[in-house]
Amino acid sequence: MADVIVFWFLALVTVGSGLAVVLLPNPIYCALCLAMTMVGVSALFVTLGAYFIAGVQLIVYAGAVLVLFTMVLMLFDLKSETNAFSRGVITGAIKVACAGVLSGLIAGAIVMTLGQRSSVVSPLAEKSAIDSTKALGKLLFQENVFAFEALGVLLLVIAVGTVSLARSKGGTHAKH
Amino acid sequence: MQSTSFLTEIGLSHYLVLSALLFVMGVATVLLRRNLIVILMGVELMLNAVNISFIAFSKYNDRVEGQLMVFFVMTIAAAEAAVGLAIAVSIFKRFKEVNIRFFEHLKG
Repeated sequence: MADVIVFWFLALVTVGSGLAVVLLPNPIYCALCLAMTMVGVSALFVTLGAYFIAGVQLIVYAGAVLVLFTMVLMLFDLKSETNAFSRGVITGAIKVACAGVLSGLIAGAIVMTLGQRSSVVSPLAEKSAIDSTKALGKLLFQENVFAFEALGVLLLVIAVGTVSLARSKGGTHAKH
Repeated sequence: MQSTSFLTEIGLSHYLVLSALLFVMGVATVLLRRNLIVILMGVELMLNAVNISFIAFSKYNDRVEGQLMVFFVMTIAAAEAAVGLAIAVSIFKRFKEVNIRFFEHLKG
């Protein structure tokens, strides 16, 4: 019973703060609500038994990425933020309607598909945190070690590229 | 009885529907907002929604590959956020603004 209450609470937290990201006009509040969503998603990972991934989610997303977002927001002077939302009531309504239709389609497809194959819905045996992390480590460092190394190279390229991009003087639109 | 079993038995479909809702919120953020950084936040929201469904499938099919994929997605999402924010800084230096209504050079 406890896990049911935890799931509904976390669903409420993630969906509520996700809605706040869409609706709040101030970008700083959006960033803070996004951090709340990330923490909720991390707790959802714990309820699903992915303990290592939950820790990585907290460190990488709620720690690094969101701090980066907030720092860049603080760097800009956005006090004069006007027109937070796109103009046009009709196009805005069409966009919201498209989002609603998409979510309805996805949810309907999920529920209808899972009704047919009920065997998937039954929960499997609980594994301890050490077991699941051990299995993930074996998979990562033995079978997919080249992908892991490729990720390392990617991160190096991204670091260099980010610095050069932030230092560039406008590229093709440079003022002469 | 249908409604109570829906509320008290958490299964794969609950996590998938939650993931779909978060994904659609990310889509709505990207479509509706005009601040470049908030749009990047919407992309992050979509990636997180996909991560939830990966982990849910990994748990309910008892396979670890889903967690591995989430690991890769997280790394690439962090890289993408870094590059996107660098582009935002670069744009802000030129336009003194990160509202996308000023970026119309690519308009036909």
